[in-house]
Amino acid sequence: MNPPGALGILEEKEDEHLSTPILGPSVHSDNPQERIQARRLRIAARLETRRREALGEYLDGKKESEEDQSKSYKQKEESRLKLAKLLLCGTELVTNIQVATDIREIQRRVEEEEIKRQRLEKLENEVKTSQDKFDEITAKWEEGKQKKIPQDLWDMLNTQQLHCAGLIEDKNKLISELQQELKMKDDQYVKDLKKQADDICLLLERMEEQVKNVMKTFRQELSHIEKAFEVERQELLTSNKKKWERALQAHNAKELEYLLNRIKKVEEYEKQLNKQRVWDCEEYNMIKIKLEQDVQILEQQLQQMKATYQLNQEKLEYNFQVLKKRDEESTVIKSQQKRKINRLHDILNNLRSRYTKQIKQFQEENQSLTSDYKRLVMQFKELQRAMRHFALIDDEKFREIWLMNEEEAKDLIGRAFDVDRIIHTHHLGLPWTAPDFWFLKNLGPISQQPKKSATEIVEEVLMQTEEEGSEETMLELESYLDLPKQVSAKTTRKILMLLCDESGFLIESKLLSLLLPLEKSECYLLRLDAIFSALGIESEDDLYKLVNFFLKYRAHHLPSSQERSSVMVAPESVEKLPTEAGKKEKLSEVEQEVPFSPRLIHPNDVLKALEAFVMGLNKPRDPRTPLKKQKDVRDDSKDSEYWKALTTVIPPAKENVWDALYTALEKYHLILTKRARLLLENDSLEQHNTELQMLLQQYLDSKINSELQVPPTQVFRVPTKESSALKG
Amino acid sequence: MQDNLTPLPMSVFSRPSETTQDQSSAASQATSTAPQPVKATVVTPPIKSKGLNTSNVRRMRRIIAEDAEWSLAIVPLLSELCIQHIVKNFQNNPILTQLLPEDQRKILDHLSPDLPLTVTANLIENENYWRRCCTQRWPVCHVARHGSSWKRMFFERHLENLLKQFIPGTTDPAVILDLLPLCRNYVRRIQVDQFLPPIRLPPPPREGDQSDSGSEGEMEESSTDHYQLRDLVAGLKHLEELDLVYGVKDCGMNFEWNLFLFTYRDCHSLAATIKACHTLKVFRLTRSRMDDDKARILMRSLLDHPALEELDLSHNLIGDRGVRTAAKLLSHSRLRVLNLANNQVRAPGAQSLAHALAHNTNLVSLNLRLNCIEDEGGQALAHALQTNKCLTTLHLGGNELSEPTATLLSQVLSVNTVLTSINLSCNHIGLDGGKQLLEGMSDNKTLLEFDLRLSDVAQESEYLISQALQANREAARQRALNPSHFMSPTTSGPENSAG
Repeated sequence: MNPPGALGILEEKEDEHLSTPILGPSVHSDNPQERIQARRLRIAARLETRRREALGEYLDGKKESEEDQSKSYKQKEESRLKLAKLLLCGTELVTNIQVATDIREIQRRVEEEEIKRQRLEKLENEVKTSQDKFDEITAKWEEGKQKKIPQDLWDMLNTQQLHCAGLIEDKNKLISELQQELKMKDDQYVKDLKKQADDICLLLERMEEQVKNVMKTFRQELSHIEKAFEVERQELLTSNKKKWERALQAHNAKELEYLLNRIKKVEEYEKQLNKQRVWDCEEYNMIKIKLEQDVQILEQQLQQMKATYQLNQEKLEYNFQVLKKRDEESTVIKSQQKRKINRLHDILNNLRSRYTKQIKQFQEENQSLTSDYKRLVMQFKELQRAMRHFALIDDEKFREIWLMNEEEAKDLIGRAFDVDRIIHTHHLGLPWTAPDFWFLKNLGPISQQPKKSATEIVEEVLMQTEEEGSEETMLELESYLDLPKQVSAKTTRKILMLLCDESGFLIESKLLSLLLPLEKSECYLLRLDAIFSALGIESEDDLYKLVNFFLKYRAHHLPSSQERSSVMVAPESVEKLPTEAGKKEKLSEVEQEVPFSPRLIHPNDVLKALEAFVMGLNKPRDPRTPLKKQKDVRDDSKDSEYWKALTTVIPPAKENVWDALYTALEKYHLILTKRARLLLENDSLEQHNTELQMLLQQYLDSKINSELQVPPTQVFRVPTKESSALKG
Repeated sequence: MQDNLTPLPMSVFSRPSETTQDQSSAASQATSTAPQPVKATVVTPPIKSKGLNTSNVRRMRRIIAEDAEWSLAIVPLLSELCIQHIVKNFQNNPILTQLLPEDQRKILDHLSPDLPLTVTANLIENENYWRRCCTQRWPVCHVARHGSSWKRMFFERHLENLLKQFIPGTTDPAVILDLLPLCRNYVRRIQVDQFLPPIRLPPPPREGDQSDSGSEGEMEESSTDHYQLRDLVAGLKHLEELDLVYGVKDCGMNFEWNLFLFTYRDCHSLAATIKACHTLKVFRLTRSRMDDDKARILMRSLLDHPALEELDLSHNLIGDRGVRTAAKLLSHSRLRVLNLANNQVRAPGAQSLAHALAHNTNLVSLNLRLNCIEDEGGQALAHALQTNKCLTTLHLGGNELSEPTATLLSQVLSVNTVLTSINLSCNHIGLDGGKQLLEGMSDNKTLLEFDLRLSDVAQESEYLISQALQANREAARQRALNPSHFMSPTTSGPENSAG
């Protein structure tokens, strides 16, 4: 038994392993407490070993060195220290050479530096001295040039030569010195090489020696350690053996004890078992009977359950069948529904597309219709214009036709009058007087001016006054205007403007806002329209009334001007005329100039005047029905009267005379015609007679007669000449 | 330990011997000794049986019938024959991945290490095969230096050999570039300790050093450019380490300065190369006589490099200006290790380094051995260490430091809790300086190494310091073993004994 070192350690560990469980309680022991203890110990031991392994060999040794195993540990520690020292010393020994060479190198470097410095100094000195010498020599050359005696020159040249030789010699010496040094250095180099080789040899030697030493000491130490471990192992073995024996004895004793205990216990247990068995048997029988009963009951129940089960199964099968069929149906329906859905989807899509199409179509239609509408409006406007135009033309035509017809009628009447006069004078021998009728003097159509509404007049007034300044054709217009002449347009306008300004409250607020962007004149117009509608002024007359009222009002309130008042009376009287009489009468009225007062009615009084006017206006108004304005329809009632009157130019009495005359004349005529006819008949008969005479003559003169046996002439008496004569 | 040692001498011996012998030795290494005789029997019969097959089947049968010793066990299996055939024709028809794992193993055990790399490089992953290849080529193989991968080792060393033998202008660059697709997945490090300069003389002798000695005096700097690594490095996907020396090895007495010329063109090309290589972690350029300007070019290209962790520019001619760039690089990279040993750094350079170091949080190790930073630089560095919380290793050996630096360093020692190793050897610390350092050490609990050899320190203080270091080392060991229960061993001991 001589294991190597590494194994020794292992063995030692194994020994530990073996020794520990024996000391403590055994795992295989009968006592559970002891087993638990043993296991615990084992776990502890394992932990311990693991830790030891982790810590390494050294700690292992150290821990155990405290008591029995100190020997091996001491040995190991000792040898370790020894070896470490050895290694340290050895490396020091080896590295000493390096250190020594290092320091030698440093010294060499220092010396080298010194020598270098010296050499440099020397060289510099040399350079300086040689330079001096050289300068001297060059100076002497100058001198030599001045020398003229050849002897002197010769001498001088000699000395120069000597000097130069000296200089060169110096240089040569220096060079040889340097070469010497170089050689020395070479030698030194060789020596150094040798020295280094020696050093290396020494180093190798030392290293080898070191290796040898280390090996030797390692071996020694190994053997020492091994021995120590061996001894320790022996000791451990003996001690463990003793322990083991002791433990074995104790174990045997304990086992015997346990055996006895066990026998006792066994007997006890047997008794208990018998008792238990008997008791168990009884109980077992009881339970068996009970259970058998239970089994019977349960079997019955089972049968019942089976029956119900059968029933249920059939039912369920039937249900299943039904459900299957339903399922099929439902699938069919489902598919149908799906199809339907698809179809409906298609339709929906179609409808959508159609809808969009229609929207487009309608939009287009709408556009076209709007354009149509616009066009139509345009057309309508044009038509209106045309209509107005045509109305004018129609008027004109009508007038022309009227005139033509009138002329014709008058012509006819004239002729009738002529005839009448001829009859009177020629046939009757009565003196004739021309009848005098009103319609005979009439020329042109009977035009009755309709009454205009207040607003129209206002418009006209406004228009007129606007155009007044520029145009002189006012007269023409005035003919259409139905302004009462007593009130000038200007005054009216002013009054109206005042009214408009002052009675803004009568106008609706909405209208005002709408009026803002309009022109001034239009604005006035619309305002006045609104005011009039509020006041109840509708017709032309009302307007004039108003105007006159204002004028009057002012007159009343201006008593200061007495002269004026007298003048103002005139309008008062005139004022009634337009209301009662027609237009023509108005025109025929003497025109009265209404003096224009620069100051019209004061704006503040307008409202008062207005109020008074309205109060006054309301009374007469009430019974009157408002006139319906008929603008376009011409009053043709007088026309027929007129034309009828024209037809009755000749009175019926005269006609009767004419009729009687006519019949008498006709009778006369008849007689005359009869006579004329008779005359004609007479003529024709005469002629006929002559002809017949001629024919007879002819016949008589013809040859045939001569040939005849009996000549007709003979028969007849020829009366030709005589009859014609008679006749004629 | 014995098991590890044995293969090396064996491989050494087997190397000069014949290939068969080598194969057998390799096989003996790869497999246990038991299968070897079995395989020997397997190898021999196929030849026989093949001859018989071709000649006459009947006769063979008759012979077998008469042979009393004949048994089915002697007849090689068809699968064995197939494997044999595959091994024989592996160069022309490499069948491996389609086979069962067992058969694959057999084939790999029998493949010759001389197969062309184009066949094997991307096909064979088996370490045993590559191990045979390596041991056949090189007597000494440190697999551990190559990530414990024989394949990687093989390709790395193969590439290094090619690079070492490359003579610009003479060797065909395709030699290296052809290898690129084969080794791009395996090479992680390029370690080249010599770059041969181009040859000027028309007859090129085999050895580079002789040719260089012959072309003495005719070398011009423009013509001494070395191999440009750009294409190679760009092709290698996993390159992490670049260890270069622009120089010639073993020149002996044929020494000439031109052999060690790191030209500007080399420098620019190298700078561009390492800038483009984003996987590079370690970059070493030593013993190349690199001066300030070249160092600055290189280090400028390394600014903000994404991966670089270690930069080694030892044994060059870098002065204060170069070091200033290095200081700038410190604050613009994730550099963890910076080695500027044996350069010409003086006090200003050390001051700029100290300035960068004061707020640096990446640098772990700084080496300024064999420079001449003197007390001014040393004091600046000591001041920087008072605020620095990262640096663990500092080497200031051979820097002409003396007492003032020591006093400042002793203050640092009592404050700093990160430093684990300081080297002040070969300085002139002096007796008083030693005492002050000892005072500083008494408050320090983290320093593990403190080298004061040959620095004029009194033996007594040196001994006391080493005692303190010893204590610190013990404490560190405790911490390393038991990081969670820092003070537990003393408290848990009695507990354990009680339980």
